[in-house]
Amino acid sequence: MGCAASLPDRNSGALNGLNSSENAVPADAKNLRVKLVLLGDSGVGKSCIVLRFVRGQFDATSKVTVGASFLSQTIALQDSTTVKFEIWDTAGQERYSALAPLYYRGAGVAVIVYDITSPESFKKAQYWVKELQKHGSPDIVMALVGNKADLHEKREVPTEDGMELAEKNGMFFIETSAKTADNINQLFEEIGKRLPRPSPSSS
Amino acid sequence: MTTSDSSSSPSSSGTESADLNPSSDPGTNSERVQSQLESMNLSQPSEVSDGSHTDYGGGDDDAEEEEEVASANGNEGGVSNGISVREDGLAGASGEEEVEPSSSRAEHPVEMEAGEEPPSPTSSGYDGERGSSGGATSTYKADDASEDEIREANVDGDTASQHEAAWLPGKRHVDEDDASISWRKRKKHFFILSNSGKPIYSRYGDEHKLAGFSATLQAIISFVENGGDRVNLVKAGKHQVVFLVKGPIYLVCISCTDETYEYLRGQLDLLYGQMILILTKSIDRCFEKNAKFDMTPLLGGTEAVFSSLVHSFSWNPATFLHAYTCLPLPFALRQSTGSILQDVCASGVLFALLMCRHKVVSLSGAQKASLHPDDLLLLSNFVMSSESFRTSESFSPICLPRYNPQAFLHAYVHFFDDDTYVMLLTTRSDAFYHLKDCRIRIEAVLLKSNILSTVQRSIAEGGMRVEDLPIDRRLRQKPSSTSNQGQDTSGPERLRDVSVGTGGPFGLWHFMYRSIYLDQYISSEFSPPVTTHRQQKSLYRAYQKLYASMHEKGLGPHKTQYRRDENYSLLCWVTPDFELYAAFDPLADKAMAIKMCNQVCQRVKELENEVFLQGASPFSW
Repeated sequence: MGCAASLPDRNSGALNGLNSSENAVPADAKNLRVKLVLLGDSGVGKSCIVLRFVRGQFDATSKVTVGASFLSQTIALQDSTTVKFEIWDTAGQERYSALAPLYYRGAGVAVIVYDITSPESFKKAQYWVKELQKHGSPDIVMALVGNKADLHEKREVPTEDGMELAEKNGMFFIETSAKTADNINQLFEEIGKRLPRPSPSSS
Repeated sequence: MTTSDSSSSPSSSGTESADLNPSSDPGTNSERVQSQLESMNLSQPSEVSDGSHTDYGGGDDDAEEEEEVASANGNEGGVSNGISVREDGLAGASGEEEVEPSSSRAEHPVEMEAGEEPPSPTSSGYDGERGSSGGATSTYKADDASEDEIREANVDGDTASQHEAAWLPGKRHVDEDDASISWRKRKKHFFILSNSGKPIYSRYGDEHKLAGFSATLQAIISFVENGGDRVNLVKAGKHQVVFLVKGPIYLVCISCTDETYEYLRGQLDLLYGQMILILTKSIDRCFEKNAKFDMTPLLGGTEAVFSSLVHSFSWNPATFLHAYTCLPLPFALRQSTGSILQDVCASGVLFALLMCRHKVVSLSGAQKASLHPDDLLLLSNFVMSSESFRTSESFSPICLPRYNPQAFLHAYVHFFDDDTYVMLLTTRSDAFYHLKDCRIRIEAVLLKSNILSTVQRSIAEGGMRVEDLPIDRRLRQKPSSTSNQGQDTSGPERLRDVSVGTGGPFGLWHFMYRSIYLDQYISSEFSPPVTTHRQQKSLYRAYQKLYASMHEKGLGPHKTQYRRDENYSLLCWVTPDFELYAAFDPLADKAMAIKMCNQVCQRVKELENEVFLQGASPFSW
């Protein structure tokens, strides 16, 4: 996995702002580009999921995210389209909640993460689902992720609860483990498949 | 009162004294108190120090516990170690709230004797305390056993030459509370609490378990406030309790480290600034809406930021010099870095900074925007202590308390390597991609001129060294006439005397030079015999005392000061352009030390284009 994933490959100067409209309009049908935001309580493993996906690394020492980190990663799907994810890994701390719209506004994908060993974090996930339904873009692709699936002996949130919440809200549901890399790539591939493809006629 | 002598330039006529801390002398202290009391026409001591105990129940809205906070009477020989309470505004300050330390009345503190033990952390009724009612005695007996005190194991490693690296992130000793012996033995506590007594931050132990202790601190502060007054300092034996009130936020330091009151208060100020940097001053409004507002969740995950700041109080001179320091670099390299940062600022960025650890490589600001050295200190502490910034580029809200405490700025942070990072600050929340592009432009310049590797080399080599100072030949050949160390040996032997052995020439161990105009300082690297972290810390504390006495209001203006004790000979020289602090071997010859200081100043002037950031600094606008 490329460590240089955060280096941009687009022309500089053309884009301004966190929420520029290019996110919603991919460059062409074969090369999609999408803004993805990760939301969830602090300590559920959002950064670990991203670092596992982008760099193939896992660091057990917890590093509290400040504000939001930006990373990007491109994957190729089976139908030979490529998807470039521009990922906003937001901080889970309460003081940043009010700033979340800054990061999720204009996002094509929202990944809401909870920790399967923490009912508290599942509650927080429900909060984010509601928040995004109210304020997110209407055609946003939403995924619900139960992380730390490797800790199944400490599980406190049943898989069914996650599935039910996802189903009710038209989300895609998956349980992952950033530690073992279980389902991490599957998560992003599935998101890639669900992205709306631009119709040739659209501007 | 102090052991300083004033003259227009360093000369050999200064007095010498072994007493580094005049105010710790009980005799001096009581004389001073006496004279101050008389000068302020005080016939009666204030309520706080009146009587053998104080009942805080009446003045405390929050108090379910109507208790005697200070019931234990002096148990460690209160004869010479009486408690002095320093308060401001005893004459007619009623109803007036002051939080600025620079108020005129603060210049004339009053210290009073009182045969009263300070509030003990073990007064009954605390949440965290069970069955330790005799604790007051043991707490203050611990003072006597200072040799056995628990030390900060991670910090006091005797091999740490670069002590900023000795700090480990995260909060330690979370399992402690005010009932733990180890907690009470800690040399220096910091607390932040709300004006309703809710704990916000504690350096040691779990905040929530310290609710009772916080309530006590709150009671003390509000009791004095209700009397139309303000408590600044309580002295209890070796302990100083320093208070700082910032609107609804109270900050308290309890320390037996023998640091000056002024510096401890400055530390509380910085601690408050760090909190504002994370949350802005708009948190005050949360307390207006709800007095019992619990702020701890808002500071979640920031323990490392605070503990790193507290650690920096003992190693980073910027915390008391209120100046920043630059990484030594060839002039041309700093210039080319500066010009790209200026370009970036011209494109709508408020501040652009390239830093290596806590040292500035270069910085620039938008027109008329000026960055205070304290903001720079708090900002670099925030970035350096938050691990996540190293992982990937980040965009996060921060507030610069001196620039605008009310509003968030947005900071783009990117680490080029483990030590070197760029910070771009803007008022626009949607500027991420623009800042990212700016970073790419900056990076291109850095790579093209190979600046990053030069920076790496510079940080590895360190700054100026006392050993490398050129010795003026004339100094070598002119033995001092005032030498009192029996150095009447012949020239060559004497020369060997001063150039081998410890430290730099003529017993110079260390120096700090602060340019007043530039708001910058340069400090020499530590060299033998000041090698261990403990020795370095102790030297800094000696400097802090010197700094405080040179800047003491009302006694002013001192220009030079020479102090000698069993540890150092310290020399300080203040001019309108610069301040020089130098530490020599305690047996160093004074006349030679003064000449050496002149040499240091000359050397710094020769190197000023490499060790200071010139011109481009927004500080000078």
